[in-house]
Amino acid sequence: MLKNKLKVQSSKFKVGKSTAFCLLLTAYCLLSVGCRYDMQDQPRYKAYKKSDFFSDNRASRNLPEGTVPRGFLREDKAFYTGKGESGQNIAPAPAATPAMDASGNSLMTDFSGLVNEFPLPVTKELIDRGEQRYKVFCIVCHGPVGNGDGMIVRRGFSQPPTYNDDRLRNAPVGHFYNVITVGQGKMNGYASQIPPADRWAIVSYIRTLQISQNPNGNMQMTPTGKSSANSAPPSSNSNTTNAINANVNGGER
Amino acid sequence: MAQIFHYSANNVAKLTIVAAVVLAGVAGFVYTQVARSSYLTGRYVEKQQPVQFSHKHHSGDDGIDCRYCHTAVETSSSAGMPPTQTCMNCHSQIWADSPYLEPVRASYRENKPIEWERVHDLPEYVYFNHSIHIAKGVGCSTCHGQIDNMPAVYQENTLQMEWCLQCHREPEKYIRPKSEIYNIQWNGGDLTAEERLNLKADYRIRNEQMMTSCSTCHR
Repeated sequence: MLKNKLKVQSSKFKVGKSTAFCLLLTAYCLLSVGCRYDMQDQPRYKAYKKSDFFSDNRASRNLPEGTVPRGFLREDKAFYTGKGESGQNIAPAPAATPAMDASGNSLMTDFSGLVNEFPLPVTKELIDRGEQRYKVFCIVCHGPVGNGDGMIVRRGFSQPPTYNDDRLRNAPVGHFYNVITVGQGKMNGYASQIPPADRWAIVSYIRTLQISQNPNGNMQMTPTGKSSANSAPPSSNSNTTNAINANVNGGER
Repeated sequence: MAQIFHYSANNVAKLTIVAAVVLAGVAGFVYTQVARSSYLTGRYVEKQQPVQFSHKHHSGDDGIDCRYCHTAVETSSSAGMPPTQTCMNCHSQIWADSPYLEPVRASYRENKPIEWERVHDLPEYVYFNHSIHIAKGVGCSTCHGQIDNMPAVYQENTLQMEWCLQCHREPEKYIRPKSEIYNIQWNGGDLTAEERLNLKADYRIRNEQMMTSCSTCHR
């Protein structure tokens, strides 16, 4: 551009002042337009921007396999998978075989290996957070109290099993966490939409719903061995979970 | 020497002075109107998308929360575009054979993202972050309008700097309680001026100098 301008100036006397002026004006306009595009659409990537560099045209890249961001090492198996090691408070092998319900859902009865206790303290804040997240992600199918009558079901999606029967009342909390994470039957996993802590918050809210819908059942946040195939001894070494187990009991309200 | 100009030229000259001023004013006014027009700002222009996705249907009729798909809106600068799997959460069964949804199924089969047209395209010299606006009580519909009534999404506002500054100067006029952020229907409630100021204090929104400082948005 600079070269161009110099040429114009040196040939000023030949081509006449007005021609030079017009050329300069054009150059100025081109320059300023150029600036606009460079500022407006900068040569950098924003989220979801198209890329000509990568073969799949996506500027937003997946993490390479096996990458662990700092602070995301998933050491706490119970927290991240809902499953426990033997020796922890986990559900035993199934007592019944899987059955089908009227909507064609195969009903899970094998909860073995799933943790019975929340791997984080259940507080009012956690349950409130769970309620909020439940109403974002779950209510669309499972309905406001978990009976499987959400709007998407009314639109034609097959009805999910209700939370409010003995099978799921006695299911370990790890089961709900695991289903949210990897899916179950016709439900996709929600791992990409709901981070782990929020999944546990939702589980705590599901338990709260179950308790609210079964006011005389003397239910507790974690099943503690009454008339259940999934009974397990109360944990003695878990220091995180017992704080609320005693208190969130709809039966006594 | 004879007069070159007729006597009436005096009036023409006076008129010219007035006309020049008026013309300059009109030109200025026309410029501001053109600069704010939807031709230049893209306001109210519906974008055609590769899939006939209707926010009116999903958000308005079905009542699905904004965050079901735009999961990152509370935690990230980008609100987050849903991966095709989020579509398939429901459309694996609902409208599963519809030709309208073939681009979605093709995307899922071939593991290739759907290429949506960006509706709100801020200039890249502007720093914008969704999460801070959510955290400080700006509702979705404050900027995006009645999304639940838009079969095809369009830009509700000009996205020009004067529009941003309206709210950055007087946020109390636009913010709402936490519980109403995702309520597209919210129409201002019956908040009094005092309640609005209290809300601003609760959200700890900074003073006008900070909110309108250049480097707040141009960093």
